[in-house]
Amino acid sequence: MIRHREVQRDEGIQRDGSPRPLPQARDDERDKVVAETRTRQEPAAATITRPQLADIWRVVVLNDPVNLMSYVVMVFKKVLGFDEMTARKHMLEVHERGRSIVWSGVREKAEAYVFTLQQWHLTAVLEADEAA
Amino acid sequence: MKRVEVKLNLEAVAPLLDVIKDAADDLKPVLAVAPQVPDHEEEFADGWKRELLHGQNTDIEAFLALFGSEFFLTGVVPLDPTNSEAILRACSAVRLCLREKHLKPLGDEALESGDVPMDAMPETQQKAFAAYVFLATLQELIVQHLDPTVLE
Repeated sequence: MIRHREVQRDEGIQRDGSPRPLPQARDDERDKVVAETRTRQEPAAATITRPQLADIWRVVVLNDPVNLMSYVVMVFKKVLGFDEMTARKHMLEVHERGRSIVWSGVREKAEAYVFTLQQWHLTAVLEADEAA
Repeated sequence: MKRVEVKLNLEAVAPLLDVIKDAADDLKPVLAVAPQVPDHEEEFADGWKRELLHGQNTDIEAFLALFGSEFFLTGVVPLDPTNSEAILRACSAVRLCLREKHLKPLGDEALESGDVPMDAMPETQQKAFAAYVFLATLQELIVQHLDPTVLE
């Protein structure tokens, strides 16, 4: 990810006509799921439809040497629904550490995010949450 | 985003269009970034890639449409809510292709800083670098209009 010469900023966006529904960003979804499955003591029939820990997947964006910082921030805001500060934080994490977990949750939504980020030519991958 | 007409320097930009169109042609059958498709059966992966490629080609068509006969008469390219995101993505795809095809030997630090030995570069590489910078500038301009807060 690069900072364009002279103009120093970042990026972001979302694509029209996406073949999959675009989920809302929920940074805290994994934590909520973990909390629910640990604390709820209900009959099996009541919990069977809840996501299991092993169902938690991460959307990870990897650094690339071409896309502008301003573009990446804008993509994060549009696709993931981040506010400016969160988008910049993740963009910088990608830039400085080479990767950032931008979302975690159920697989279907994670796949939709990966697909949409790839439509914007970001290097996005799906990873199983090892902690799960 | 309102409709914006951007006046480009015709003499500076027109010579870059050949190298940009060559990159666009290269991208017709292939994605600018090889995607990692989530672990599914082959049919799913093929469909995933096919949809990405279709989107990429649609975006590049929208981008190249900016440089029609009107552009060569006036130097003006129109940006509006219907084409701006497609053009942003197309610029990204073409820049990725230009780097891969022409600019990789220069190194990413030099590409970022712009500190490249233009005089020592072959003409094709010079044009590719100029196109790479031009497309970044166009992206910055569009981002600024789509979301001014990003550039503060």
